[in-house]
Amino acid sequence: MIAYHQARRTIRPCHRICLLLWPLLALLCCPAIALAGVIVEAGVELRSLDATSLRNIYILRQTRWPDGQPIVVFVLPDNHPVHERFAKDTLGIYPYRLRQIWDRLSYSGMAGAPIEVRNETEMRTRVRSTPGAIGYTSKDMAHEGIKTLKLD
Amino acid sequence: MKASRRSSWTRPGRVGLLVASLITAPVEADGDSAPRVHVQGFAAQALIGTSHNNFFGDSQDEASSEFTEAGLHATWQVRDRLLAAGQLLYRRAGESDSDGLRLDYAHLDWRFHQSDSHQIGARLGKVKIPYGLYNETRDVPFTRPGILLPQSVYFDNSRSLVLAAPGVFLYGGGVHDRGASEWSIGAIRPDFDSASVEYNFLGNDLPGKLDGRHAFGARFRWESPGDTTLALTYADAQADYAPGALDPFGAGTVDFRNLMLSVQQRFDTLTLTAEYGRPKIRLAGFGPALPDRVSQAETFYAQGEWRFAPDWELLLRHDVFYRSRKDRNGHAFAAATGLPAHGNYAHDTTLGLRWDATPSVMLRGEYHRVNGTAWVPGPDNPDFFARARDWDMWLLQAAWRF
Repeated sequence: MIAYHQARRTIRPCHRICLLLWPLLALLCCPAIALAGVIVEAGVELRSLDATSLRNIYILRQTRWPDGQPIVVFVLPDNHPVHERFAKDTLGIYPYRLRQIWDRLSYSGMAGAPIEVRNETEMRTRVRSTPGAIGYTSKDMAHEGIKTLKLD
Repeated sequence: MKASRRSSWTRPGRVGLLVASLITAPVEADGDSAPRVHVQGFAAQALIGTSHNNFFGDSQDEASSEFTEAGLHATWQVRDRLLAAGQLLYRRAGESDSDGLRLDYAHLDWRFHQSDSHQIGARLGKVKIPYGLYNETRDVPFTRPGILLPQSVYFDNSRSLVLAAPGVFLYGGGVHDRGASEWSIGAIRPDFDSASVEYNFLGNDLPGKLDGRHAFGARFRWESPGDTTLALTYADAQADYAPGALDPFGAGTVDFRNLMLSVQQRFDTLTLTAEYGRPKIRLAGFGPALPDRVSQAETFYAQGEWRFAPDWELLLRHDVFYRSRKDRNGHAFAAATGLPAHGNYAHDTTLGLRWDATPSVMLRGEYHRVNGTAWVPGPDNPDFFARARDWDMWLLQAAWRF
């Protein structure tokens, strides 16, 4: 929790600068704030993940962690700004295309669809309490029971 | 709506809990771990108007509202390697489909080999039939490229043949340096028993009954690391005809075979798709009223979907169906049967617009300019001579999901 508050304090001034010097700093400052962090449940034995694996996990092609534990995929609603950014910038797939992929696999019974949560708070809570869980948030912050993965 | 989609997941949610308690011994209740039951569903209603010929109801004289779809889908992780999945479907499509509520499919999926990048398993039960790019989810409006699928390849007028059937499929898949591949191969007992299928293969709704004997199906699908999807489908189905009282036809057999190639290429927000197949139909033993014959049809379409805004999509498609590859204009067919030649072909140009108003509500509009009547639904248009060669069709659809 301490780490969480510290993180908030460090981000707030950045917001203000952004507002004041918007035209100049928009490109430099805001993407840094909005960068999505990939989080996993603390029991997942990984420190980093490459872009291909992350993509394979989110298109439901990779369903197990290297140690054999099933992966439980969490997502925010299709129109959530953090989801849109994560899909486009981190995965490189449009949100509508992700939904197509999930629908094709889940409605044909080939895979379970990802679990949709309402907001980032719920995302953290569910990822923390679900063995093998993966999710994402808008901020790279330390949080008890959750690991942030480094993206290679 | 978002809340309900979410609640269907959480621990396992009210609907999920209900389904779970109905179909299972106590589900392991281990607090916040991954939910074992997932329920999702949809409902859609369409309005259809045509200048000539009826499509899914009396669309010629007024707007037909007889195209309704609703589904309740559940997956249940029974054990680590055992997944159960099924769908209850309500469908009404004019005179062609008035069965209402039915079990669309229900299978047990045993994944006996599983690594972090590869899977091999088997599906058993009333299984979905792999056929082209869209068949397995053809009744979920959100997954279709338009309100209607291209009728040449996905022929709604004998859809029961390719939907789902009792049987078993072996499957496998994996990710590797060259993308992702997926294969399935299996045997089923196909469903030929419907008036629409009889119309399509035998020309009319007959007093006897077509009994699916067996069918074999296989599909290989490959997705490149870039944005290409390729698929090859093979299907071979056989049926026996049991003549009814005062039946002009003898106890014959129908054999349906198809090899189909599917290609999809995505360029940013533009998706181009084409599928091509040459279904072969062999009729034998029906007696003098229906001489033995082999005919090869030709089916293909090319389609572009453009997501020009995050929630808007434009569709343009050209779809072609020849009932006989050697008689594309139907002249030989007309000379032999006295029926209109346009019953042997159909060219359909479609323009469509999709709006995803919210993540759970979709509205669609579609216009078809059609030349030919080869896939006009038989039960909606029983009089061959009342069918018109050139016709227009428009459709509107509202769909909701949870």
